Amino acid sequence: MSKNNLILYAAILIFGLAAPFIFPAFKVQLSILCVLIVLAITWNIQGGEMGYNSFGNILFYGLGMYLCASVQVGMFFPLAEWTESGGEKTFVHTPVQFFQGMAVGLVVAAVVPTIVAGLIGYSILGLRGHYFAICTLGLGVAAGEISGGIEIIGAGQGFTTPPFPNIGSLEARGEFFYFLSFFTLVLTFIAVRSIYSTRFKLILNAIRDNEDKAEAMGIETMKYKIIGWMISAFFCGLAGGIMGGLVGYIDSTDVAFDGREMGVFMVLMAILGGKGTLWGPIIGATVFHIFKEGFWTFFLGWQYVALGVLIVVIVIYFPEGIMGWLREKYPERFGEIVDEKDRKAQVELK
Amino acid sequence: MRLTKIILSFISAVAILFSMSATSFAKVVGNKIVLGAAVSLTGKYSSNGVHTQNGYNMAVDRINSMGGIKVGGKTYKFEIIYYDDESNPKRAAQLAERLISQDGVQFMLGPYSSGLTKAMAPVTEKYGVPMVEANGASRSLFTKGYKYLFAVLAPANLYLDVAIKTAVELNGGKGVKVAMAFEQDAFSQDVRLGILDAIKETGSTKVIDDKLPKELNDMAATLVKVKQMKPDVLVVSGHTKGALTAIRQIAEMKVDVPMLAMTHCDAAKLSKQHGKNSQYALCASQWHKTLTYKDNFFKDGMTYDADFNKMFGYAPPYQAAESSAALLVFKDAFERANSFDQKKVRDALAATDMQTFYGNIKFAPGGQNVSKPMVLFQVMCDAAGKCENKVVAPLKWASAKLIHPVPKWSER
Repeated sequence: MSKNNLILYAAILIFGLAAPFIFPAFKVQLSILCVLIVLAITWNIQGGEMGYNSFGNILFYGLGMYLCASVQVGMFFPLAEWTESGGEKTFVHTPVQFFQGMAVGLVVAAVVPTIVAGLIGYSILGLRGHYFAICTLGLGVAAGEISGGIEIIGAGQGFTTPPFPNIGSLEARGEFFYFLSFFTLVLTFIAVRSIYSTRFKLILNAIRDNEDKAEAMGIETMKYKIIGWMISAFFCGLAGGIMGGLVGYIDSTDVAFDGREMGVFMVLMAILGGKGTLWGPIIGATVFHIFKEGFWTFFLGWQYVALGVLIVVIVIYFPEGIMGWLREKYPERFGEIVDEKDRKAQVELK
Repeated sequence: MRLTKIILSFISAVAILFSMSATSFAKVVGNKIVLGAAVSLTGKYSSNGVHTQNGYNMAVDRINSMGGIKVGGKTYKFEIIYYDDESNPKRAAQLAERLISQDGVQFMLGPYSSGLTKAMAPVTEKYGVPMVEANGASRSLFTKGYKYLFAVLAPANLYLDVAIKTAVELNGGKGVKVAMAFEQDAFSQDVRLGILDAIKETGSTKVIDDKLPKELNDMAATLVKVKQMKPDVLVVSGHTKGALTAIRQIAEMKVDVPMLAMTHCDAAKLSKQHGKNSQYALCASQWHKTLTYKDNFFKDGMTYDADFNKMFGYAPPYQAAESSAALLVFKDAFERANSFDQKKVRDALAATDMQTFYGNIKFAPGGQNVSKPMVLFQVMCDAAGKCENKVVAPLKWASAKLIHPVPKWSER
């Protein structure tokens, strides 16, 4: 790692750790930003590097959300009574129960979606291109409808997650969730970065660029595709678990399996930043989140129109995303050597 | 590596942006009491979100123009900061957080629908922000032990159980066959629970129990079953879209059922949109203009109806009326507390016992309004095709007699 890089990472880390104290009023937005970045980074693994555009990652996110909350409640109280719509009883977690439940819940929220990704990946990663995209779109929608009918997790009534215990100041909840999501982000980044420095990434790229050729070269593409998707699912589930606690209320189609918003946003953020790059999804998610929050404040009632315009602008002017645009504009800053004469010659040939 | 520089400058830009937008304006500024509200201006609840907003705005206007709120010898006026929650609970929870921690709001009005209220209540509770809500009726809101949540409306399980009981009564006390179709959302599912209780109590049987999707545009499958099973009562609940879809398809498919009980008929402007097709539909309502409650601000239901019509160009559904009532409750509580201390205002709210044009308001320890019964009205049309909602139950308020059973389509 070069010295410059070290400075960069240290700066970001310090900024991340200090952020909730510099902008105390924005803790929730910052926590959500971290979750969004995690989602964008993980989508990029199979959407950007592997070339499999999935709309189904929302499945892992929603699954993680329900699992984390269910475990957190179920470890200490009868889950069915907690979610019972007319429930007359009030259960209160002690601080120890809350954090224990959350910790175990998050582990389950990460592991189970990973296994699920492995299982369904085996059956549907054989599909390619649009067929894969449509199939995964169906996964999210189906999961939303099915979970909306399961009584034990609240069905159509929704699931109120355990309220944060009364400890410390009013700010404790915001700080807890911010640092939880920030460390998840750091963990995700480190994991993905180290994965990207191995042969594994090259294999994913080979699958993206020409799957048949990759196979002909002796790569077991199916195996790597499944592993790639499982890594995505692991962090997606984790992000979902955190988001559930942060929002405090899980609804089957509007919060958990929210394919229409979150499911699309994660794709959009990765594309906006530049898919197939490490930093693209991070920048994309940040820009997207800031614009979104801004639109919601300044274009009340018209925010989606403004967001739509933004998307159109992105597609027309930055088809390769922000990173792609920067790369084209300043190739030398990305370590690419440009022979000006050669480039001109090529342009003139055309 | 120059990339580092790009990213670093990007981060600083973000930091500057954040710090610039951190303008916080407090709850009581000068002579204004600022209330926060997230309402559904877009998304599936947008029509009811607008009813809610109009109800709030109308009451703010009226209270401000009639002298405002007197606290500590000074006169204050109401102002509301609105956000659009997009009918999405996740968004609603974020906005509650934003209103409180960024905008510095210390008192909140509720959003539209039980689901969104459920998402916001944990946040307001956490910060000890009193919230008077007018559109979250799900019973589960009132069993969580919330101390800062007050609802001016009767809980959802009481919406339609009267209909089942009436049907049983008209059946000579014998149980009836009930078909139910409910949207998958907190409110409608709670209405369903109320019906289930009523079925149990009266020894009736349920023959159909369908769940409808949230974006409700088609319930033909349920109606086909209704045609086959011939139930005595069909109960449908799914907010405005549910009411519109039910009436449209029942008329299209000529489904005969002796009693059709629904929610949200007036919010959907059924009698206006579907005219004679909506005739005989029995609807649960929190309020009706002919009820004889009174207050100093809106006088009574008829006057409210006329004034609202003048201001917004349509007859107020109960969602608007209850929203207006929420502000009357706040005003009353502020004046009795004679303070802006959240704890004191909360205690004053808990001790509320008043009459408004919308009904009596007195909160149970859980926060729900226990002193106001629901009413049932039936859509009735005259020969010229002009339709009107007439109260048929409870008898104390009834302005017309229930038409039962509903005539068959072939005889209409």
